[in-house]
Amino acid sequence: MTQNAKSLDDLRSNLTPIENHVIDGYVEGRVSRREFLRHGSLLGLSLPFIGRVALATGFGTASSVARTNVQPGATIRVACTASSAVVIDPVRGAEQGAILMLQQVGEFLCVSGPDLVLKPHLATSWKPNQDGTVWTFTLRKGVKFHSGGEMVADDVVATMDRLADPKNSSEALSVFKGILQKGATRKVDDYTVEFHLDNPNGNFPYLVSSDNYNAIILPANYAGDFEKTWDGTGPFKIDKYIQKSGASFVRNENYWGPKALPAKIEFTFYQDIQPQILALQAGQVDIINKLPAFAGVALLSDPSFEIISIKAGATQGVHLHTHMGPFKDARIRQAVAMSLDREKLVNGLMKGRAVAGNDSPFAPIYPSTDPSVPQRKQDIRKAKELMRAAGVEKGFQATLAAPNTQEIPAFAQLIQSWVKEIGIDLKINIMDRKSYYGNAVPGQSPWFDTEMGIADWGHRSVPNVLLTALLTSTGTWNTAKFQNQEYDTLVKGYTRSFDLDSQRENAGKIQRLLLQETPMLFSYFFDHLTATRKGVVGVQPTARAQLFLHGAGVE
Amino acid sequence: MTDFAIPVTRSRRSELLTALFRSGAFVAGVSIVFFWVFCSLFGPYIVPFDPLADDVLNALGPPSAVHWFGTDQLGRDIFSRVIVGSRDILTVAPLALILATAVGTVLGLLTGYFRGIVDDVVSRLIEAKMAIPGTIIALLAIVALGTSQTTVVVVIGLSFGPVIARTVRAAVLSERELDYVAAAKLRMENSAHIMFIEILPNILPPILVESTVRLGYAIFAVTTLSFLGFGVQPPSPDWGLSISTNYSMISGGYWWTVVFDALAIASLVIAVNLTADGLHGALDD
Amino acid sequence: MSWARRTSTMPSAAQSRFSRCFQEDTMNRFLARRFAHSLVTLFVVSLLVFFLGQILPGNLGRAILGPFADLQAVEALNHQLGVDRPLLVQYGTWIWHFIQGDMGHSYLYSAPVADLVVPALNRSLKLAAVAFLIVVPLGIVGGVVAALNVNRPTDRIISICGLSAATLPEFVSGIVLILIFGVWLRCLPIAAAWPDGAGALTQLYFLILPSMPLVLVLFGYIARMARAGMIEALDSDYTRTAVLNGLPWRKVIWRHVLRNALLPTITVIASQTGYLIGGLMVVETLFRYQGIGSLIYDAAKGKDFPMLQACVLIIGITYAVATLLADLLSFRLNPRIRMGG
Repeated sequence: MTQNAKSLDDLRSNLTPIENHVIDGYVEGRVSRREFLRHGSLLGLSLPFIGRVALATGFGTASSVARTNVQPGATIRVACTASSAVVIDPVRGAEQGAILMLQQVGEFLCVSGPDLVLKPHLATSWKPNQDGTVWTFTLRKGVKFHSGGEMVADDVVATMDRLADPKNSSEALSVFKGILQKGATRKVDDYTVEFHLDNPNGNFPYLVSSDNYNAIILPANYAGDFEKTWDGTGPFKIDKYIQKSGASFVRNENYWGPKALPAKIEFTFYQDIQPQILALQAGQVDIINKLPAFAGVALLSDPSFEIISIKAGATQGVHLHTHMGPFKDARIRQAVAMSLDREKLVNGLMKGRAVAGNDSPFAPIYPSTDPSVPQRKQDIRKAKELMRAAGVEKGFQATLAAPNTQEIPAFAQLIQSWVKEIGIDLKINIMDRKSYYGNAVPGQSPWFDTEMGIADWGHRSVPNVLLTALLTSTGTWNTAKFQNQEYDTLVKGYTRSFDLDSQRENAGKIQRLLLQETPMLFSYFFDHLTATRKGVVGVQPTARAQLFLHGAGVE
Repeated sequence: MTDFAIPVTRSRRSELLTALFRSGAFVAGVSIVFFWVFCSLFGPYIVPFDPLADDVLNALGPPSAVHWFGTDQLGRDIFSRVIVGSRDILTVAPLALILATAVGTVLGLLTGYFRGIVDDVVSRLIEAKMAIPGTIIALLAIVALGTSQTTVVVVIGLSFGPVIARTVRAAVLSERELDYVAAAKLRMENSAHIMFIEILPNILPPILVESTVRLGYAIFAVTTLSFLGFGVQPPSPDWGLSISTNYSMISGGYWWTVVFDALAIASLVIAVNLTADGLHGALDD
Repeated sequence: MSWARRTSTMPSAAQSRFSRCFQEDTMNRFLARRFAHSLVTLFVVSLLVFFLGQILPGNLGRAILGPFADLQAVEALNHQLGVDRPLLVQYGTWIWHFIQGDMGHSYLYSAPVADLVVPALNRSLKLAAVAFLIVVPLGIVGGVVAALNVNRPTDRIISICGLSAATLPEFVSGIVLILIFGVWLRCLPIAAAWPDGAGALTQLYFLILPSMPLVLVLFGYIARMARAGMIEALDSDYTRTAVLNGLPWRKVIWRHVLRNALLPTITVIASQTGYLIGGLMVVETLFRYQGIGSLIYDAAKGKDFPMLQACVLIIGITYAVATLLADLLSFRLNPRIRMGG
């Protein structure tokens, strides 16, 4: 490892203290090369730049992603899940089918890849200011909308304002809350945009990446009629859309980047996973966008299909009411957490396609997760002691409500049999998903009102949203009714920290506090699986159940 | 007091029993029914595994020497679940049937005996009710009242009552012209007495046959409701519920998760039908 | 209406002229009577549905939103659904709107019920048509064969099979059929989802398996009716006369016996519409077919009362129409009924 000190100094002379801190970490060995890549990209250091730093420090170049030798012109057929009431709307869309459709024609400022590395897309670079309260994004030139005009800063400003406007009730509000307000996105010139944040935020670029599935850049004059216009900048254009049934797209010949390989992609909507599995087995589709491990067990071991697996932070969170009801006492909640056999959940329930969780939103895949916090394991004896200490040795009755989605009913039954061992007689109430979530506000939603409930959370590239929305005192989805000042302060500290060290330090404190209080059980984080017919290549899923098909084809 | 009825009934009863046991269908049917009744009563004590004990690392194992019927998605032994699962259906369906018979008998007696306006109105109501399939009425009622075993019993009972009432009515119509009824009227007995004490004992055979036939339909309705998710909740080993949880797995080759429950339902239904058929044959002689 | 009373002599020419005038008059009266009858039935059905859907839940808003819901939210929903008005007004408004085609607004799908129900009903009718196409000939043939072999093993087997199949729940037979034909033999598709724009034959191919559970449930009853009608017809004076007159056996069966045997069968088919529709719910869920059955199921799961009410009333209407058509058909076919016999 030879260090070329002079060239390194040259490279570093123009960087901010934060950026230099990251490089320090890398050089001094505290940060892995992979993490350096990711964090560097987060801070807006371009990949080539990072590569040069790596070279200068003697760690070698970043490998490039080679495109496999794929025949162009294929028609790719995809099966995805969409409810009967699905609405393809960039502002309001939130379900799998909608997200997938938006991402075919629309594009983001940056894309969060499988290893959580941020890649530039509609923005070519980004930079934080000294304290991280203003992020400046440089836009790519020559990007054209399908309707004709060129993408400029006005379009980006309009898009972000639309998402941050509380009147539009966008899903993105949960991402932007407390960070980006309407009007805080400002045009500097035609190809430069500034984001003025309410508070310093070290993970901001993720919040305008493909992770924030509503943040596709639309023309400034977008009038709210996406299902008719389908206007975006992507490598595919809308061909046909049949409501509630599916959509097909064709190659965009005026795309700013290398043209897509497939000539056509067709999507069919299904309400359940089973017909999708049948369709794939029968050869009616080539790809199943999102395959749950539990229901899709038949495909997992079938050699005629390939499973693309992406480590993700998706989880089924189990909340316990913290201020009232049978789980008021933190010791009881800890006991419940200790009665779960996470090994069995990972290997039995999820067929090995998951990792054990430690009862906090900090999944092992996040670099900011503090790995020194001991992993909670099943300990029936200790759990019984805790129950005794809390004075409920005789046990008690409680109700667990859960939506009928994915493997959740099976998960609920496993929890039921495990807590029986520590004396809790749990009654299960499995409800239809829509009825369970209701209006997602207390008083109008069984999810909020039940003393113990399970909710399905999709993957996110950073734990910020779950940390704030689920467990802070003012969190919109705080079903555990968790009110803890110390926690709120720690989370604020985490979101403002920039470098990995301080992020990890804060994370560690949060993780330990949550283990102590256990308002929610995060018992496993499961992978995102995409199933393809053997012979279909070049498929790039994201952990957010999006599908990049511009490089896809049939061998 | 009818003096004719009793001696006729006694010898008739032994005649009946002989006829029944000569019918192969009846014997086969009753044996199977008794087998399932035995399972529902003593099942938990005789099964090799706890039907609720999950072993998720051994999920979806095919039938083997250890697990005769294989294991389900959570690793529970299917053989044990099938045996114990008879409990729910054999509690709810007979209870619903008893309610239906009670309601139907009363309705049938009233309409058959009084005729006139009562008959017309009630018959119209019954006909209208027949316009909508029983399962759907049951569904509507359950959605309105909430899912619970009691609701299912009451709803199915009230749903089948009218059908039984029709048979009872027809039987009453032919009985009311007979001499003993006229005699009772002459003795100034009140209507209730005539209906329940005079006529009822003599129309028991057709009521019995009709009830047994309806039991088959009651089982049909109750299992359909559990299959649709409006009966018991998990983790109950109920047959209909098991099938509804597992049928999505069959395309993956996991046939044992549904076939045994399906065969159990089929055997019970066919057994009840054979019993009804046998009864019908014997009582018609 | 008794089918059994028959005369064994043919009406003379003069008699026919007179009876033809008489026939038309009687037929119109019959039509009118039957139609009024249907209306009354429908009225009662609508009352029943209204009771079950609006009154039985007690607090409708509470039933939809659940036990923990905020009182304000419940009251708001109740007001929106119009539950706080007098019952008569509620019923009247509902029926009045329904007749005009406004079947209410679906709570679950956020769309007018009519937009969802009409295409769904269409699809269910297709499935029912396929089922009838298979079961009617099958049932009649079964009944006829049983009658021709009365009390011999063939007869008993057909009767027992029919009876057992009738009480076998559709999801049980459906799953066994899926396993045999869809998974093991792989000759029929498991989900009734044909590609867009498929022709009639393809659609038929996809609907065969889903229709089989329905066929099984209906077969027994139709076969039994056909058998009974056949036996009676075989025993009648008229058949004996025809045979004595030297008509070949086959002609006797074909021309005279069958016609009389079919009459009760037609009525029975219509009355089985009820069971058929009940079976649709299970079959459509099992085979993932978006007909009215699965619509009702989704509405029930999601506690969408407006949708449930409308769908059940539609079913009642379908049943009334089916029985009316059946009665008209049998009226036309049976000359003796026209005589008022």
